[in-house]
Amino acid sequence: MTDSSPAARPRFAFQHRSVLAYAVLGVALLGTILPLTYLFSVSLMGRDETVSGILWTTDPQWSNWGDVLGSGIPASIANSLIAAFGGALLTLIIALPGAWAIARFRAGGRALGATLMSPWLLPPIVAVVPLLTLLRIVGLNNTVLGLALVYALANAPVAVWLLEGFVRRLPIEIEEAATLDGAGTFRTLIWVIAPLLLPSMIAVGIIVAILNYNEFLLATFLTQSADAQTFPVALSLFYGDRTPHFGKIAAASFVGVIPVFAAAVFFQRWLVGGLTGGAVR
Amino acid sequence: MASATSVRPRLTSGFVPRRQVWAHRLFISPTILSILVLGLYPLLFILAAAFSDSTLGKPFREWVGTENFEVVLADGDIVASFLRTVLYALAISVASVGLGVVIAVSLDRATRSGSVVRTVLLLPLITPPVVVGTLWKLVFNPGGGLLDTLLRGVGVDGASVAPLSSTFWALPAIGLADVWQWTPLVTLLVYAALLTQDGAVREAAALDGAHGFGLFRHITWPAIAGTVAAVFFVRLVIALKVFDLVFIMTSGGPGQASTTTSYVIYQVALKEFDVGRASAITLLFAVVVTLVTLPVAALARRLSHD
Repeated sequence: MTDSSPAARPRFAFQHRSVLAYAVLGVALLGTILPLTYLFSVSLMGRDETVSGILWTTDPQWSNWGDVLGSGIPASIANSLIAAFGGALLTLIIALPGAWAIARFRAGGRALGATLMSPWLLPPIVAVVPLLTLLRIVGLNNTVLGLALVYALANAPVAVWLLEGFVRRLPIEIEEAATLDGAGTFRTLIWVIAPLLLPSMIAVGIIVAILNYNEFLLATFLTQSADAQTFPVALSLFYGDRTPHFGKIAAASFVGVIPVFAAAVFFQRWLVGGLTGGAVR
Repeated sequence: MASATSVRPRLTSGFVPRRQVWAHRLFISPTILSILVLGLYPLLFILAAAFSDSTLGKPFREWVGTENFEVVLADGDIVASFLRTVLYALAISVASVGLGVVIAVSLDRATRSGSVVRTVLLLPLITPPVVVGTLWKLVFNPGGGLLDTLLRGVGVDGASVAPLSSTFWALPAIGLADVWQWTPLVTLLVYAALLTQDGAVREAAALDGAHGFGLFRHITWPAIAGTVAAVFFVRLVIALKVFDLVFIMTSGGPGQASTTTSYVIYQVALKEFDVGRASAITLLFAVVVTLVTLPVAALARRLSHD
């Protein structure tokens, strides 16, 4: 380390560091992929094979996947998708005007900025009983619509917080020009701001939709009837059997993960942009 | 002042017409509604429930003063769950942030890592926690899980490896799943901070002989310290709320070994139907969360303003 030959050292150090970096990435990739591959492998195992200490079955049981597709899982995935996208769309409708008014006009003042993320600090279990009571009163408990509404409100603060960062990056001159041309506040929001923010809104929408799709705690109490269950709830019920069939549980897990993984592959750039856009200002 | 703004109406100036003020209030009202429904309303509900005899079916039956709090504070299991959750969250956050920073710096240094690598590294973050729990439960399955099989392969007696039914290993095993799931968020946010860094500064430092850990400590670290502290705060809050993984992997067991506070609240409120006591636990836990996160939030703010 105390070696000093300033001319030669940096070049060597660069290469040395790259090797280390690639090694770290290799280990990280392996650590990410190995458990997922194992899940896939188990999804093709018969009931006996899951407890026999093998890593890969020689006799793939595609019937596990067939059984899962014939069970309530596809319907629960459909419920999850409806709640996820319905909730995300409503969240965006709530968050866009809020984010714009807060970022540009300091609407709500410091108090709103300070309280915006405070519900997020507490465990969501806090909200289960009060929300269950509320949904019962309005008659929306055990419905996908009720769940979508809860998701829409639950993620609105996060969406406002993320979108605010994007609003601040828009050049204010465009809005000023619109005002000079006589556009009112509403017209500026709908015809100037919304189109400019569309890419950011899609990014934030995808993040919120994934959060909704994956949510378990609220869903398990707000959608107890079989026809309103979301995917995480339906999957958790597989453990209710006296002797759970790990092969089928793994197959169900994999089927349910496909929509989010597909979204990640298609919207990789948007996803990363949305997650980092609000945080790095 | 007013005449100046009428020449060039800057949107951020102090003068705003009355009509616009109302429009802005209208714009933020749905956001405020969401805070009321998911923040204030649950808070008032549990405040009222904590000071009353409340069941799931019939809340607020009778005011009982601080009785719920006295019962909770006298319950060793619940106080132990606070301590367990805080220690768990701190350990998991340190591990995730440490790993995440190392991976982010590696991504930044490895010039040829493409978007495929980044997408794959993100997958755990978007996997439903219920699936993450399932996945690791299968890995830790004592009769033929991945860990058991691999350990048998290298000659360790697999029969003794059952982390999820060991009082010592159950919580660390859940923690491993937790770290696996959330480290990508740290990686992503720190990587984004590294991208905004000035490449010329690093090159100049490298030419001056800074390399390896020295380069990281004096050039890279000061640039990302604020982000790392902020991410640590976010990670800590998420870890303090852990529920899904505990629910799927161990149901809080064996005994109370992996019972985190979220799980205790769930048990008391929705298994024992004692909403009053569950609310008292929640409020006390809120105090604990505040005490633990406040110093971290303050540190994050100081580092990002320096």
